[in-house]
Amino acid sequence: MTEQSDEGLTIREVRLGATREEGGTREVSYVIGGERDLPFSGDGAGRPLVALEICDDPRFWPPVVRDYVGDLANDTAEWARAAERTYGADLVRLNFTSTKQRGFDAFDAIAATTEEVLAATARPLIVEGSNEPELDSEVFRRCGEAGEGERLLLGTAEADRYRSVAAAALAYGHAVIAQSPIDVNLAKQLNILLRETGVPQDRIVIDPYAGALGYGFEYSYSVMERIRLAALSGDADLAMPMICAPTDTLSVREVREAAPADQEAMAVAWEFYTAYAAIVAGASIVCVRHPLTVERLKAALEG
Amino acid sequence: MAMKALDIYKHLPKTNCKKCGYPTCLAFAMKLAVGKAEVEACPDLDPDTKSLLGGVTRPPVRLVTIGAGERSIAVGEEFVLFRHEKTFYHPPGIMVQVSDTWPEDEVRSVVETVKETVVQRVGQDLVVNGVAVKYESNRPERFAATVALAGGGSTLPLVLIASDPAAFEAGLAVAGHYRPLVHAATEENWEGLAALTKRYGCPLAVRAAGPAELASLAGKCAEAGTPDLVLDPAPSSLAGFIATATEIRRSAIGRTEPALGYPLYLDAGAFGKTDAALAAGILKYAGIIVTPPLASASREAALTLRQNIYTDPQKPIQVTPGIYPINEPGPDAPILLTVNFSLTYFTLLGYLEASRIPCYLFIADTEGLSVLTAVAGGKLTETLVADSLKKFGVADLVDHRLLVIPGYAAPLSGKIEDATGWKVLVGPRDAADLPGYLEKEWKA
Amino acid sequence: MPTVTFLPGYRKATVPEGATLLDAARAAGLSMNVVCGGEGKCGKCQVYVKDGTVSFDREKYRRFFSDEEIARGACLACQATVAGDVQVEVPAGSLIEEQKILVEVPGMKEIPLNPTVRKYEVRLEPPSLEDTTPDLARLLEGVERQSGPPPNRVYAPLGVLCYLPQVLRRSGWHVTATVALVPGGYRLSSVDEGDTTGRLYGVAVDLGTTTIVAYLWSLVDGRILATASNYNRQISCGEDILSRVNFSRRSGLTRLQQLAAESINEALTTAADAAGIDREEIFEVMIAGNTVMTHLLLGIDPGYMIAEPYVPVVRRMLSTAAGRIGIAAHPNAGVYTFPAVSNFIGGDIIADILATGMAEREEATLMVDIGTNFEAVLGNSDWMLSCAGAAGPALEGGEVLFGMRANPGAIERVRIDPDTLAPSFSTINGVRPRGICGSGLIDLLAELFRACVIDRTGGINLELDHPRVRKGQYYPEFVVAWKEETSIGKDIVITENDIKNLIMSKAAIHAACMTLLDAAGLAPTDIGRVCFSGAFGNYLNKENAVTIGLIPETPPERVGNIGNGAITGANIALVDRRRRKELDGLARRITYIELNADPSFMDRYTSSCFLPHTDFALFPHVQQTLEACRARQGVRSWQA
Ligand code: SF4
Ligand code: FES
Repeated sequence: MTEQSDEGLTIREVRLGATREEGGTREVSYVIGGERDLPFSGDGAGRPLVALEICDDPRFWPPVVRDYVGDLANDTAEWARAAERTYGADLVRLNFTSTKQRGFDAFDAIAATTEEVLAATARPLIVEGSNEPELDSEVFRRCGEAGEGERLLLGTAEADRYRSVAAAALAYGHAVIAQSPIDVNLAKQLNILLRETGVPQDRIVIDPYAGALGYGFEYSYSVMERIRLAALSGDADLAMPMICAPTDTLSVREVREAAPADQEAMAVAWEFYTAYAAIVAGASIVCVRHPLTVERLKAALEG
Repeated sequence: MAMKALDIYKHLPKTNCKKCGYPTCLAFAMKLAVGKAEVEACPDLDPDTKSLLGGVTRPPVRLVTIGAGERSIAVGEEFVLFRHEKTFYHPPGIMVQVSDTWPEDEVRSVVETVKETVVQRVGQDLVVNGVAVKYESNRPERFAATVALAGGGSTLPLVLIASDPAAFEAGLAVAGHYRPLVHAATEENWEGLAALTKRYGCPLAVRAAGPAELASLAGKCAEAGTPDLVLDPAPSSLAGFIATATEIRRSAIGRTEPALGYPLYLDAGAFGKTDAALAAGILKYAGIIVTPPLASASREAALTLRQNIYTDPQKPIQVTPGIYPINEPGPDAPILLTVNFSLTYFTLLGYLEASRIPCYLFIADTEGLSVLTAVAGGKLTETLVADSLKKFGVADLVDHRLLVIPGYAAPLSGKIEDATGWKVLVGPRDAADLPGYLEKEWKA
Repeated sequence: MPTVTFLPGYRKATVPEGATLLDAARAAGLSMNVVCGGEGKCGKCQVYVKDGTVSFDREKYRRFFSDEEIARGACLACQATVAGDVQVEVPAGSLIEEQKILVEVPGMKEIPLNPTVRKYEVRLEPPSLEDTTPDLARLLEGVERQSGPPPNRVYAPLGVLCYLPQVLRRSGWHVTATVALVPGGYRLSSVDEGDTTGRLYGVAVDLGTTTIVAYLWSLVDGRILATASNYNRQISCGEDILSRVNFSRRSGLTRLQQLAAESINEALTTAADAAGIDREEIFEVMIAGNTVMTHLLLGIDPGYMIAEPYVPVVRRMLSTAAGRIGIAAHPNAGVYTFPAVSNFIGGDIIADILATGMAEREEATLMVDIGTNFEAVLGNSDWMLSCAGAAGPALEGGEVLFGMRANPGAIERVRIDPDTLAPSFSTINGVRPRGICGSGLIDLLAELFRACVIDRTGGINLELDHPRVRKGQYYPEFVVAWKEETSIGKDIVITENDIKNLIMSKAAIHAACMTLLDAAGLAPTDIGRVCFSGAFGNYLNKENAVTIGLIPETPPERVGNIGNGAITGANIALVDRRRRKELDGLARRITYIELNADPSFMDRYTSSCFLPHTDFALFPHVQQTLEACRARQGVRSWQA
């Protein structure tokens, strides 16, 4: 049932990562959520987190990032380490792009990579599993198992395929990213489905799906605002923190076709404006791919 | 609280005479309720009723024009706090700041860039709007010269930023007739500045920390005869700006404090994080944003964000219907039917380009509705598909007669087959699943 | 002699001075309400003197009048005498109401028999050299004497005039004139020898895209003599409206016009034969059809209606003579078509509205007519909103793997045991099942939902370990009937895809209802009653319809089914001319909401694409019952 109350709601707090005391190996864990008002307008919320996205198969990664990180792209664990230590990311989002290959069946590698990345990092980890319903349950099981106790943030549950992510999250104690296609109602529906499957509300992070700046981002922006407003005015099924991960930002025409000298600046600007706007709309975690964007965002969020 | 349609209806003549241009009084009431019609349109209302209903529609944020001529900008006249509630109407003016201490060439080059740079996106020309001249030389004549260098207001809208009355006198002597924005009246100097701007009939920015102080200052200036005001809440941090701007817009919209019903001013250079400030200003209610000169990447991203945020959320951006080749398709490539809702298009495009599968995107004109809505609303029909197939000459491009339709259009599959004679394959509902689907299912 | 004019009808009588107003009223053909017989004792014959004077002792009869009435010039007609020319207003209460025959219209309570066409039996003095009044005038004067309309208001078609002299003379000046009330006056439809007043018939027709239904009435005593129905012959030119319009664009209107008339004639003939009457004695035909059907029947080009901006040629009620459009009734019979609101809300829907009586009530009624397209109307006596849209064929069994129309062998009712998941069902005609029809599908959806076989998006939970729940070839599916039980030798299943199509259909309808409610600023609880119209509503389980969120939550006792509202409405308009007269006004005050132009429709639609709805608060009762169901099964509560 939707809890309605006149005073409005507090966004649920979701813990990411687990320290030793919490049963994991992370040096820190983060608690996101807790807002009682619009972003920047009240108290209650911590600073939004900036996640750097990396992947296990760079063939599916934007060239502008590959050029910047060089050899790191071929060593997922080192890339993850650099994300935290060199680039200053609050956390890493690991994408299993390898599952996009035709006939993928290297499930052991999924587990191994998860373990390696966890070993290479000290902060909470976001894991983006497969994009393929056929692979879902095995991929989620393997990475979920490999990260048992670490309170990963596992992605991505969608209305058509949420049961396997939910099962892995429940079995190994992780949180779940619930992604719906830019629609406040669909976001709510998915949260209800997850709830009715048994995923506790404080282990759900909403991903309203982010379009790229200039390519429909405004829809995502408004949906995030709507989700947050609905939550603050009492809709418990939407009162979860939000994550923004605009996957297409670095493949838009403006970045792809920029003069080589401008490309990096354009990539960073495009990611920065998108991520910052998402924060203004209420995102607790913004995911970017270019290491320089991490720095820019963190500077912007200080003070 | 806006009145509901039925409440408004009670006050209308109920004669359904159509003089207002709507088929029934109730239809008119419904438009009034959402602010899409003017009470005046009904000739048969007595003055009392008019004022009762008319009070609902006056814009809560005043429209203020800055500059004159082609490049002049009008800001304000907003009705909502969140764009999804209706739309934002008047995008903020972005004004690049120069100083009167700079060498002439530097000023000139900034002004040239503002004047000449146009970013074209989705059929619109996006520009940085004007120039802000800051008085730092302590020499009024130098200020006036720089104002002249910036075009004197006749080409680009200007903001004159100073604190010395003498500087304003000098600056306005040059640009006063082109409605520059004068920044800023404070608790100390407002009387003189209000008189001055009244004389030139130009808009005035008032600056005070906090909504209450701003309201009182704005009230005094308006009373003194300068109705076109812009509010500078003098934020001490960017977060502070967002919070105050939200508060001010909220009281303006809620009409709790009419003296706050003016556009807002933001100095994006004030916090050492220009990009963040630009984004924040665009998103959160700034009407005028003054910024240091921008690198091209920042400029393009900021203008794009502004365009995005100020598009009407209720009017989806549309892609031109037609047939779009992707990844160099041949005659055996699949034809993928979709709608001209831009987001659908861009999402599909992204997945398809990444998949490297050669194919044709076949975009039917559903007036910008998504597949789901277009099917439900009867905009995507077999006749439309059949007509579009013909119109775009799809049959000449390929040597098969197979049409992949979106999963949500499944209910139309039979009818499309009948109307077109093509065999219909029902694709997945989700764009992300399309490449996988094509790999598995597509055999021309 | 002074002239007395009676308002509001401007009837006049010239009477000697000193005559009472009552005498004058009688002379003018008014039947006053003379309860005490004109003794000045009952006070029922009140009239108001508007202009001129009468002599009347106001003080004597003061007790019959209020101050206000005195001020308006009230007096008693039986006691006031004429002193000069005078104008008198007769309030309705002082007239004897016309003798009302109440007739029972199927689906409606009693309504008065008050047709627009009447027969007058007249015996005329033959003309002579002294009296050379022309035949027509002679006849009409005779009609007027029978309290028929004044001669100058009656229009006589040439066709009638051509045979009039013969009929009058052959009959020995004893004829029956059939006079119809038409816009702007009266028409002399027919003159027949002798007394035929016992035989006056009318037909109400539901001109559907697929089927024609006709009711044959005796307009003399308000009895239904026969009914008939048959297919619309236009089907040969296309199944649905769009294809027919396209046909008319390709091959012209004539064929479709003829087919429409032939289809109606077929029904008319069947009914007339069954009742043993002569079609030539049918003098009135009332037709309810959607806007395109109406255009086609009348031979008006519907081509501009099917594309933006969807403009029909006419909306108002039209009348024509049967002979002009080939309807096999008396050639001068009046054929009336229902007015429309827009091309999407046609005469059939106006007839539905009439059948619900919603335009006469204060409480808000929500009327939904469901087919491949749906129409919804919300309103009361003061205001009315309507919208229309495409629901898709799923609710009628289309686009559903084992869906079928409501024909024999269709599973029409289903229950599923929540513990064993064993379905029990009944089929139409009780034969072995061949498929599932609309009402069965709705039952299934509701029952699968209650049994937790499907989640709220309609996704089948494959983790349930049960032989009836299986992966299926393309989509997960639930087995409703094993092949041994069926008559088709195959398992009858419902697939997840079927379920999602059904949910999309129901969501379109629910979203439309919510759009109307929101436009009016009402909540579902403000709905006084919900009426389903059309065949769809007949077998529908109301509670299940609410459980799946087809309509806004309403207590089952407030949900009703008016059946074929189009024919009911046509029946009412045929027999009661008062209501027929109101139709144009009704159609004009209905506000049409274009769903596509309503930006929030998509929002409502997506939130309705869930069982029963994304916002459970809109379905508090459903929520409670589901909680109870789940609790019984030991499934986690919704609140978890
Ligand atoms: S002009 Fe006035 S009276 Fe006439 S329809 Fe419009 S609102 Fe009604
Ligand atoms: S008839 Fe009774 S008072 Fe006139």
